[in-house]
Amino acid sequence: MAEKIFPRNLTARAAAVIAGNPVNTRLESGVGNCFPGLEFDVRNLDRRFFPGLVFNFGTLPVVLYAIERDDPALEPQPGDDEATRRAIPALSSAVRRAFDRLGAAGGHWELVRLAQGGRKIDTVSQEVFDGDGGNVWRLVRSLERDQVTITLKWAADGATARARKATAETIELTHYRRRFIDPDRGTISPVYRPGELTQSLCSPWQHDFRDCSCNYWASNHPDIVLAEDPLGTGELPSGASADPQLATQPLDWLRADRSSRVIASPVDGENDQRRLRHYQINQEWAGLAFVLEGKEISAVYAPRDETFAKPFDTSDDLVQELASLCQLEHVVALEYLYAYFSLREPDERGMARKLSDDLLYARHEILGVAISEMRHLRWANQLIWSLEQRGMVKNRVGPELRPAENVPGPNGSRPRALRPLTPEVLADFIAIERPSGTLDGAYARVISTLRSGYPEVLLQLARQIAADGMDHYSRFCEIQLILKPYDAKAGKSPPPYLRPIKPASSEEAKTAIDLYTGILGDLEAAYKLGDMEEASSILDARKKMTELETAANALASKGLGVPFF
Amino acid sequence: MPTARPAGEPGRFHLLAGDPPLALALDGSRLYAIDRDLHDALMGGDATAAARLEAMIGSVPPGADDFHDVGAPTALSLNVAQACNLACGYCYADKGQFGGRARMMPREVALAAVDRLIDGADGRRVTLGFIGGEPFLNRALIHEAVEHAAARAARAGIAIGFSVTTNGSMLTAADHELIRRHSFAVTVSLDGGPSLHDRHRRHHDGAGSFAGIAEAMAPLLAAPGKAKIAARASVTRDDLRVRARLDGLTALGFREAGVSPVRTGPDPSLVFQAQDWQPFLREMIAAAEAEWRRVAAGGERRFSNLWSAVTQIHRGSARPLPCGSAVSYLSLGADGTYYSCHRTIDDRRFALGTTREGPDRAGRLDFIRSRHVDRQEPCASCWARYLCGGGCHAEVVSAGRMGCDYIRGWLEYCIRIYDRVLRRRPELLS
Repeated sequence: MAEKIFPRNLTARAAAVIAGNPVNTRLESGVGNCFPGLEFDVRNLDRRFFPGLVFNFGTLPVVLYAIERDDPALEPQPGDDEATRRAIPALSSAVRRAFDRLGAAGGHWELVRLAQGGRKIDTVSQEVFDGDGGNVWRLVRSLERDQVTITLKWAADGATARARKATAETIELTHYRRRFIDPDRGTISPVYRPGELTQSLCSPWQHDFRDCSCNYWASNHPDIVLAEDPLGTGELPSGASADPQLATQPLDWLRADRSSRVIASPVDGENDQRRLRHYQINQEWAGLAFVLEGKEISAVYAPRDETFAKPFDTSDDLVQELASLCQLEHVVALEYLYAYFSLREPDERGMARKLSDDLLYARHEILGVAISEMRHLRWANQLIWSLEQRGMVKNRVGPELRPAENVPGPNGSRPRALRPLTPEVLADFIAIERPSGTLDGAYARVISTLRSGYPEVLLQLARQIAADGMDHYSRFCEIQLILKPYDAKAGKSPPPYLRPIKPASSEEAKTAIDLYTGILGDLEAAYKLGDMEEASSILDARKKMTELETAANALASKGLGVPFF
Repeated sequence: MPTARPAGEPGRFHLLAGDPPLALALDGSRLYAIDRDLHDALMGGDATAAARLEAMIGSVPPGADDFHDVGAPTALSLNVAQACNLACGYCYADKGQFGGRARMMPREVALAAVDRLIDGADGRRVTLGFIGGEPFLNRALIHEAVEHAAARAARAGIAIGFSVTTNGSMLTAADHELIRRHSFAVTVSLDGGPSLHDRHRRHHDGAGSFAGIAEAMAPLLAAPGKAKIAARASVTRDDLRVRARLDGLTALGFREAGVSPVRTGPDPSLVFQAQDWQPFLREMIAAAEAEWRRVAAGGERRFSNLWSAVTQIHRGSARPLPCGSAVSYLSLGADGTYYSCHRTIDDRRFALGTTREGPDRAGRLDFIRSRHVDRQEPCASCWARYLCGGGCHAEVVSAGRMGCDYIRGWLEYCIRIYDRVLRRRPELLS
């Protein structure tokens, strides 16, 4: 009888001792960078790919570094099939017989060849492996859990190349590539010593921190930040600086001059010049600013007071507002999408390289913002269904998947419009997304209402939507920066990054419109279920979105845009 | 709702039937859901099942089993007025005079005790409370003591909180302002809506007090600032209704309200007797069910008895004493004598030092050592002892332990509802 108990309250949970590592130490909780890595270095697994031996991939040729006489992988392991179990004793005894020779003093053994499944690869060529043992490691990483034959060659200390060649002694050994994870228990073999898997990790707050070339640090290393508000200057209710310059100018977080307001360059090398030098970071790392909500902060953090906005009296009023926000998110997503397809494709034949690069960037960014608005549409619907499913609403309104008729802007509301991305339209998009402009500002009352008497998770969701507005704003500003030079040159003629595009007739756009309608149907079906969301509708919608992109691109190449409304 | 006793009880755990079946491990007040097979085996008297459950729940390192020392108290209530403008029929304080004659606490006594409280804080947050009688009969002293304490605490770098228990009938605009400015925790003694309240809470001339209280409290209820205003209703045996009382208090504008049964008092016709506890438990559960229906649908929490129990269960509170009385909390009588709490003022059995020498450390240690729940009967063999703590010291001495079945029933109910909160609105527990 498998009896179970389930800890419920805090003391029961604290007292529960569960075998294995806590969840936050597992690989799936990490940021996923596995070499050199922030949680563990996968190369350290492969050092022991061959039972009984330990290699060092730091040099080329790769060298045998140590011998592990008691390696449990020299015996059959759980999960091994019958054939493997039968083969292992003979293979292991050959490896064991070689141990004494492999441990000889006066030189070292180089890994010169790998063979598996009838394929052989020599692993010594400086040209092929670019002088880097790490490239041999990549080959080792790709070995399968099967028999592998390695060839090791003796290199005597101090011997000249010629003498080495003359006395070249080789040993060939065959065994099964190590099974790294116990298939039953999911544990890593005890042959790995404590600390072995983590020994070569990136080191935060030291040289690694400034010289990391993969820009893949976790949240303890912000790249680009906004400046702290100087004492006594205001913040907008959204948390953005009242000074528009401070609110929008990105700074390099690692800058040596902490008071510098030099805008971070999109070209990484230029920022590097202004960063803390190596000796500095070792000594002055503590001077790096904390960053909260994208902004540097040196004072005690006080959560923003969102009471400025009047909370809604009832959950029903709140849900009504959320429904109109859904419509708004939806309509701007469509406007952005239409504008996206008005940009020329970067791989057009004969296009100048610079224009092609700029278009690649601009298209990527505007599509990113459109997708983000689609996500907001989902989140706003999620807020609605969460409230409805908890029985906090009298009259159900969700799901809300209609696009709004009008778009509010700084100068009042305007009718929705499908327009190519001309400079004027881009300026309009920027105005919509400006911090504490119309869109994120619209969430203020929602946030203010959710602060009291509602589940915390809903508040976080609403805050996330509002915070994204800042990101949209800077992305559109970047697009403007990049496209501006073309506008000046173009004068009165249409800018070279646009293709002439006008809304297609419903006949011409039938495929695209059918797909769009289908997507809305799928989303409606999924959102109706809310938290019990059924994945297949979402998967269908995603598939149709990909097809819609293809259809819309095909239309755009003929000068036609999708008439979403 | 007594539960059949499975094998293994009384012992280290207590079993609650239901879906899912729950087991409370007594040490650490740890709550587990268990699978039905195990539950059925336990209820079927399978002794080995009890052993298996004990093995699974294991044990936690024992907490402070004994008391080696007590530090300076961090909470003190000043009985600033041993007199009252009301003459409630069931008052434990005998119309505020605690069996003695009406008197006010002299200024020097109050300030000396305040200084001693803050000077002994050693960095810890302290709480200063005002009680009576009706404390606002000595309004000037409250105002002076608060300002004095706030300033002294600020100089000492100590955080300080204030509380007051009042009948609410005498509050002025200046009092409201003081309460808001210092973020008081205010407990107002109100028994429900007008008719329920006025039944026993009357002026000396026999007139009901509800209307006056409603008027005096209205500005504070409408704009409490950061003060926390709660109502507490006394339930007398002549009217055991709970929900009606809570509804009356909510209608008046209270966002938090609780009840407490009258266990001791001068009029025996109002004091709870053995047969009252079972119907009272039904009343409590009915009120809690109504509360939960509202909260599950997103409403605010109001019924403080329910939520304090749920919070206590969530934290796994396991205490050998019912309250902080004599450990971290003392009460000061008008004559400058410390007592174990506000309920024992002027009862020499509970006297624990004077402002002249300070709280009597040895006396306090003796007091709590002798009252450790493991050393009391029938507590030592009760599964609920670490959640209950053994019952109010003052009441145990004067009336014995009454209503233990009620306490167990209420705790079982609260454990069950805790499990529902955990599933439906876990954010309320964070």
